[in-house]
Amino acid sequence: MTTTFLWTIGILAGLGLLLSLVLFFIAKRFKVEEDPRIDEVEAVMPGANCGGCGFAGCRAFADSAVKAPNLDNHYCPVGGDEVMKKVAGILGFEAQAKAPMVAVVRCNGTCENRPTTNIYDGVQSCKVKAALYAGDTGCPFGCLGCGDCVKACQFGALSMDPVTGLPVVDESKCTACGACVKACPKSIIELRNKGPRGMRVYVSCVNKDKGAVARKACKAACIGCGKCAKVCAHEAITVENNVAYIDFTKCKLCRKCVAECPTGAIHDVNFPKPLPPKQPAAPKPAAAPAVAPKPVEVKKEENNG
Amino acid sequence: MDKHLVSPNPHIHAAVSTESLMRDVIIALLPAIIVSVLFYGWGELLILAVSALSCVLFEWAIAKFLFKDTALFCCPAALVTGLLLAMNLPVSTPWWIVVLGALFAIGVVKMSFGGIGQNVFNPAIAARVFLLVSFPQQMTHWTAPAGFIHSVDAFSGATLLGQVPVLGALEADKLVSLQTLLYNIGGSAGEISALALLVGWAYLLIRRVIKPWITLSIFATVAVVAGIFHLADPTLYTGPLFNLLTGGVILGACFMATDYVTSPMSTWGGVIYGVGIGFLLMMIRYFGSYPEGVSFAILLMNMTVPLLNRWFHGKKYGRA
Amino acid sequence: MAKLTTFSIGGVHPDDSKIARGCAIEVLPLPSTVYISMAQHLGAPAKPVVAVGDKVKTGTVIAEPGGFISAFVHSSVSGTVKSIGPRKDIAGNPVTHVEITVEGDEWEESIDRSDTLVTAIPEDRAAILDRIKACGVVGLGGATFPTHVKLNPAPGSKAECLILNGAECEPYLTSDYRIMLERSREIVVGAAIMQAVLGGCRCVIGIEENKPEAIAAMDAAVLSLGYPGIEVLPLKKKYPQGGEKQLIDAVMHRQVGSGALPISVGAVVQNVATALAVYEAVQKNKPLITNTLTVTGDCLPVERQHNYLFRIGMPLSFIAEQAGGVPEAAAKLVSGGPMMGKAIANLDATTVKGSSSILYLSEAATKRGKESYCIRCGRCADACPMGLEPFLLRRLYVAGDLEGLEKEAVQDCIECGCCLYSCPAYIPLLDQIRMAKGQVMGVIRARAAAAKAAAEAAKAAKQ
Repeated sequence: MTTTFLWTIGILAGLGLLLSLVLFFIAKRFKVEEDPRIDEVEAVMPGANCGGCGFAGCRAFADSAVKAPNLDNHYCPVGGDEVMKKVAGILGFEAQAKAPMVAVVRCNGTCENRPTTNIYDGVQSCKVKAALYAGDTGCPFGCLGCGDCVKACQFGALSMDPVTGLPVVDESKCTACGACVKACPKSIIELRNKGPRGMRVYVSCVNKDKGAVARKACKAACIGCGKCAKVCAHEAITVENNVAYIDFTKCKLCRKCVAECPTGAIHDVNFPKPLPPKQPAAPKPAAAPAVAPKPVEVKKEENNG
Repeated sequence: MDKHLVSPNPHIHAAVSTESLMRDVIIALLPAIIVSVLFYGWGELLILAVSALSCVLFEWAIAKFLFKDTALFCCPAALVTGLLLAMNLPVSTPWWIVVLGALFAIGVVKMSFGGIGQNVFNPAIAARVFLLVSFPQQMTHWTAPAGFIHSVDAFSGATLLGQVPVLGALEADKLVSLQTLLYNIGGSAGEISALALLVGWAYLLIRRVIKPWITLSIFATVAVVAGIFHLADPTLYTGPLFNLLTGGVILGACFMATDYVTSPMSTWGGVIYGVGIGFLLMMIRYFGSYPEGVSFAILLMNMTVPLLNRWFHGKKYGRA
Repeated sequence: MAKLTTFSIGGVHPDDSKIARGCAIEVLPLPSTVYISMAQHLGAPAKPVVAVGDKVKTGTVIAEPGGFISAFVHSSVSGTVKSIGPRKDIAGNPVTHVEITVEGDEWEESIDRSDTLVTAIPEDRAAILDRIKACGVVGLGGATFPTHVKLNPAPGSKAECLILNGAECEPYLTSDYRIMLERSREIVVGAAIMQAVLGGCRCVIGIEENKPEAIAAMDAAVLSLGYPGIEVLPLKKKYPQGGEKQLIDAVMHRQVGSGALPISVGAVVQNVATALAVYEAVQKNKPLITNTLTVTGDCLPVERQHNYLFRIGMPLSFIAEQAGGVPEAAAKLVSGGPMMGKAIANLDATTVKGSSSILYLSEAATKRGKESYCIRCGRCADACPMGLEPFLLRRLYVAGDLEGLEKEAVQDCIECGCCLYSCPAYIPLLDQIRMAKGQVMGVIRARAAAAKAAAEAAKAAKQ
């Protein structure tokens, strides 16, 4: 009996030793020489492998960054300036500071603003829905509400609001990797400058229909009237194809356009004080619409907490 | 309706659902269940009820509380597992062993792999084998039927297969007659009537729930392998008819091997799978230490299903 | 009776529900306005050639082809062009339409509106093709592929068999059935014309067995007209018999290779309605401005079911109104058959050349069941007429494995709907496979373009 034990232990131990030696020599013999800095860079990366930088993952990013002549084409949106400073330190490059970005949902077609005209009965996928038809509301441009963006977000920063049927971005979790932007078949989500203390102004609509048609489909639609572009002193607003767009690099956050917009399609978020409902300075006070965006502001701020 | 539905095509659906398919399987099992209750009486009914109820209960509880996804709970599917498990047990099995078997079938074999559609092994068979190796005494304790029908030539103590080492192959072969097709005393309760099982199988075929190829290839392989060995030495090896009609061959081939989840999808994959089961079960019967090999053969072939699915595909249109 | 033929792989057997089969074709009155879409055919949209305010007659050309694969569009009414601009189609997407206010019903003089059957076939093949093209004839079997392109196969390929598709395998639809009964002789002449264009190949008219009256009527027409090489072939009832590849398999027992055209096995498939349109175009000079459409459904009483001859451009809502309005029990409105038709999201949309029905389905018939988990029953694979494995394709799509999808031939999917129709777990197989197919087709096209560019670069380098 004991001999059986001893033999078994002996053979197993011998086998283990032999195989470990084989492995050791193979590892030595076939070792691939790599720039040790790749490992160092990879170590400071966030490790989410989200692909937001345009590379297959953090290691691919590190590999490419080490070989690159400068860091102009390498920026990790998830890690932001902090990580890039570390990467630049390892590689001896100059880090370029970039303004932090955040994903912005440019549709305010809530269930209330945008009544449904039919019931979608296919698979819950915006991609499938968009390929099938214009959507279950009168607006063929707006959010389809199946949550492809939520599924695409690796950071849990997006969620569907069951009341509005629209996705909500949690700014504290959003890393601006851009996965949701790619996932949205309607191109509603945009990466915009986060703005000082999160303050920013944007047009929450992408409807290219003519004013009357857009308005009929959705109470909160941009009707392309151009009032915002006229009132903007910084030439930040352009109206093209019946829809306004605010260039966030030019916007000075004066919020004149917000007061001017007749449908409340322009949203201002994270401002310490909401815009008063009636502005005496404004040439054409728009009382009713100014109320409309308010609940959205409040909700966004709540979500940031 | 004031708002109409919109969806991609198709806009109609065949009158079939997972539940309706499983209901058909239950209906197909009914003849065999009725016969077994008639022969074995209230005890058998109790085992069937305990097994079915505990399978349903365990599946519901695991889906609800562990997975938190009630879509994983398919009541008729759990019922099928429960009934098949009960049909694979001797009538004298204590109720707590049945419950244990149900827990193993649903909890370990089915749900731990991800629930309906994900399991590698047939839950009822795996549970039966689990009970067989855990409680060998209780699981091979065959009692004489004490049901509503009394058979004069009923004998107790061992199954027909169990008689082989005692009587020898020649004598054992003589025990099989036309009567065996109608009822076959001894063994698991569900195996009692080959005819009732075949009627159920025919119902499944008519309802197009399953295709016949797996079952037929098992029967054919058993017949061929037994035929060859029997011709070589009839004193050592029992003949084809004996091997087809005894043990759980018919129950296994008609209802267990044809389980959707654990059998190959393609026709040719199914045939290979059936041949494998037939061959393995005959090898176990002739050369193994267990008298009965259907359960082990099916479990072993279950493991090959992913490979068979990978190797065998239906013919694609316009491709060589 | 000899064993009926059908295609060899897969297929399903939905109840044929041809409730409207007894309704003779009725001519619809004219609405006050028609909206004629510029995208009624496969390929590039047509370009309008009229301006707002122009007077048009019935049959006047209002748009010309916007590319090689495109078609002429004609006014289906006489009146004044009121506007040209985007209007929502049945999916709610904006498409350019020409709006015409109806004034009387004055036809172009060149159109022969008599009922006389013209059986003499013109001899000039090019002239026939020109006439078909000028009359804007497109395939009316579903794909609306321009007919003159299909009847003019690339040099080097030879048509051996013209297959006329009278299968009408979709449940509910009866418009092809009705024209085969009522216009059988015209269809046969149309077939003979296409036969002549294709260089005198044989012609088989495939009709499913559930339409014995149509088989008899077509048989009689073939016999009485006496054109050589035309025969009627009864087919076993099975969906999707009317699929081009399936019909070729059923009739010729040949299979078209992946990505290849039917002509590669010597087949040209045309719908019976297309044959009728070809007859009217060539023999009567009448452009494709009318078609037959069925108003039917499981929740529509049989006395309210109709087969209508409609003018292209009539709004669907107008036709629904003529048939007594949308039934209360209708849960889904479909344009086309229940297996491959498109759900109508916008009933104000207009009819197009290929419109074949307004189908009202009840909630019980059409609402999708709750999706559950795959039990690997393999029914989808058994049903797939292309021999694919939908359960596997869906898994590969969810995993994002484009290479695997291409290997498993997702690009061969004909989107017939058999997989989802037969899935007991109501898994939206086709919804996802269609997406996968789109992605893989994109990869294949990009690769082909790259290969072409590389070949051209190599050629340029040589010179």
